[in-house]
Amino acid sequence: MRVHVEFLGLARLATGLKELELDLENGATFRDMVRTLGTQYPALIGNVIQPDGETLQHPNRLNHNAKRIVQAHQMDERPSDGDRIIVMSISAGG
Amino acid sequence: MYGYSGKILHIDLTTRKTRVESKPEDWYKVYIGGVSMASRLCWENIEVGCDPLAPGNPICIAGGLFAGTSVPVGGKYGMASKSPLTGFIGDSLSGSWFSVALKRAGWDGIVVHGASDEWVSVFVDDDKVEFRNAAPLLGKGTSETEEAIIEEFGDDQVRSASIGPAGEHLVRLANVSNDGRKAGRTGQGAVWGSKKLKALSIRGTHGVRVADPETLLKISYDVMKAAQGPYTQKYRILGTSSNVLNMNKLGLLPTRNYQAGTFEDAELVSGEYLHEHYKAKTIACAQCPIACEQVGHVKEGPYAGAMGHIEYESLYALGPNCGLNDMAAVIKAITNCNEFGLDTMSTGVTISWAMETYERGIFTKEDFKCEKYPDGFEANFGNSEAVVTLTEMIAHREGYMGDLLAEGTRRASARVDQERGTETFKWAMNVKGLEAPGYDARGLKTFALGMAVGVRGGCHNRSAAYDPDIQGEVDRFSVDDTRGEVARETEEYAAVYDTLPICKFIRRCFTGKADRSGAWPAIAQLINATTGWNLEYKDIDLIGERAHTIKKAFNIREGWTRKDDALPYRWHHEPMTLGASAGHVVTKEELEYMKDLYYKAKGWTPDGLIPKEKLIALGMDDVAAEIGV
Repeated sequence: MRVHVEFLGLARLATGLKELELDLENGATFRDMVRTLGTQYPALIGNVIQPDGETLQHPNRLNHNAKRIVQAHQMDERPSDGDRIIVMSISAGG
Repeated sequence: MYGYSGKILHIDLTTRKTRVESKPEDWYKVYIGGVSMASRLCWENIEVGCDPLAPGNPICIAGGLFAGTSVPVGGKYGMASKSPLTGFIGDSLSGSWFSVALKRAGWDGIVVHGASDEWVSVFVDDDKVEFRNAAPLLGKGTSETEEAIIEEFGDDQVRSASIGPAGEHLVRLANVSNDGRKAGRTGQGAVWGSKKLKALSIRGTHGVRVADPETLLKISYDVMKAAQGPYTQKYRILGTSSNVLNMNKLGLLPTRNYQAGTFEDAELVSGEYLHEHYKAKTIACAQCPIACEQVGHVKEGPYAGAMGHIEYESLYALGPNCGLNDMAAVIKAITNCNEFGLDTMSTGVTISWAMETYERGIFTKEDFKCEKYPDGFEANFGNSEAVVTLTEMIAHREGYMGDLLAEGTRRASARVDQERGTETFKWAMNVKGLEAPGYDARGLKTFALGMAVGVRGGCHNRSAAYDPDIQGEVDRFSVDDTRGEVARETEEYAAVYDTLPICKFIRRCFTGKADRSGAWPAIAQLINATTGWNLEYKDIDLIGERAHTIKKAFNIREGWTRKDDALPYRWHHEPMTLGASAGHVVTKEELEYMKDLYYKAKGWTPDGLIPKEKLIALGMDDVAAEIGV
């Protein structure tokens, strides 16, 4: 399975990338995806991904196809092949 | 009394006399400080029903409870008067050493009455007040004005709030500036200009007495340490401007006067692009360990030398919303606004209204004549020079267009529609007369409600209802029976921070949780250590409810009715065309349904009026007598 991952904000600064295609095992969950990203881009750990390697650090969020934020309790749900995942850090104000 | 002096300074510019008003401790327990106290002072001192630019509209300044103490991000003040844009409460906040000086001078607040015949600057030197000729300061930009005052006194501890040329010309989009920060929205600068008040300077030499300095210092230290960690990392590194790409991806980025929610060149005007190509430094407000403000500097090209304070709201308004993909030009336009004393948001949205009106063939090149371009100029979306030039024209009310746009979108569209028989109001993007913020409400249904019922109009700071929408806590594209309560909760949550006032960016640093359960106990401890009071969790909720209620009461007394809680025509009738929010509008039925839910959640009548018993329960008996039902 392949998903398209876009990096915004802190994730982009940590990886130096705007986007990438990420290959995952069939049936992989969002948690698996975060784990894979942390392995491939260790600079994300501590900046975007928690030291546990599988959950995101506030205020970073996973956005699924620009339609919904993947909540903490939804991390074991599965993205589909071809999905677009945005790693974004949302802030208020300005 | 700890934490307060118990004194409000009244300054009458007509008579050039001053008086001191003492307030009892119980009054402070209800109104605390910031926007709540400023709004209450406005309630007490305004000539009801007056024109916002008449002498009867006071400038009401309220300090921060924590200003001058060890509490991080507590160096803020609130300001209120009747807004020249909305005709309702105009309240604004600013992080500033001005707030600290106010407190150290021994004043909890200042009310400026009347109007001067000649331009004046007022100097408050502890308990002395001096009226000074401001003629030498006229025409100066905001930072130039502050520097001139410091130079004149030879003391950089003289802290000033001042207006730029926009305020001097009674531009309704004008703001008040201090230390490079702004009391930015609702047109307060025009109120200052109407009184011929160029600057208010304060030197304070006293300390601030708190009840339990040891506890206050300990909590402050812990919060400060947390504020330099991961909870605020994003603010420190990228600031709020990183929201350009976030909003673009969500289809919420106002583009070409809110005609779309996605901008094809968003990358070029993003926080990430700013960081890589234009960032000069970050700076902090008074007492702030976060330092979120990104300063952008243009080093070459036609706008070389421009250096502006870049926030998301300034970027969306003067960038994508005007179709601009040239970051240097956007920085120049923001710099102009900063120096002229213009609200970047209202200015950008007003310019984008003019650009759309031009592209529809209602305005012509000749309408844009000015000294720099005697034959006028093309004002199509994406024209950088047009945007930069229009900021200059608006600030000085130059030419037909400068004078027209200085009135803001509601008045400008009404005038054009009357003169030309057009319907430009259909793309005048304001709520209650205040230009809309950088979140397209068609893709944020809870925020649509929060903004419509908001007491100061098109604002993202007083209602935080976009947060549950964006964070996915509710479905942002639909409406359900929870939204009235969500809108109530988020606006009262925000009102607590705006009343103390402390910056909302600290909200996660108390315990790691930003919600009430995470923040309220720590905030209660801070208040108690400062004042010696014994507030509990529920009392912190009351702070927010009271703050919002006094502003609502002000509006009711000035003639508010349910129909004023409305949204721009475009958001009701024109579906989003591009991006993740495409196809959505907020129907009038949805809005009216949510308003019913909201008024009920507030404990108000179906017409949105406040029952007497509700006001009395909040400790506002005198307000109940005037507007309670």
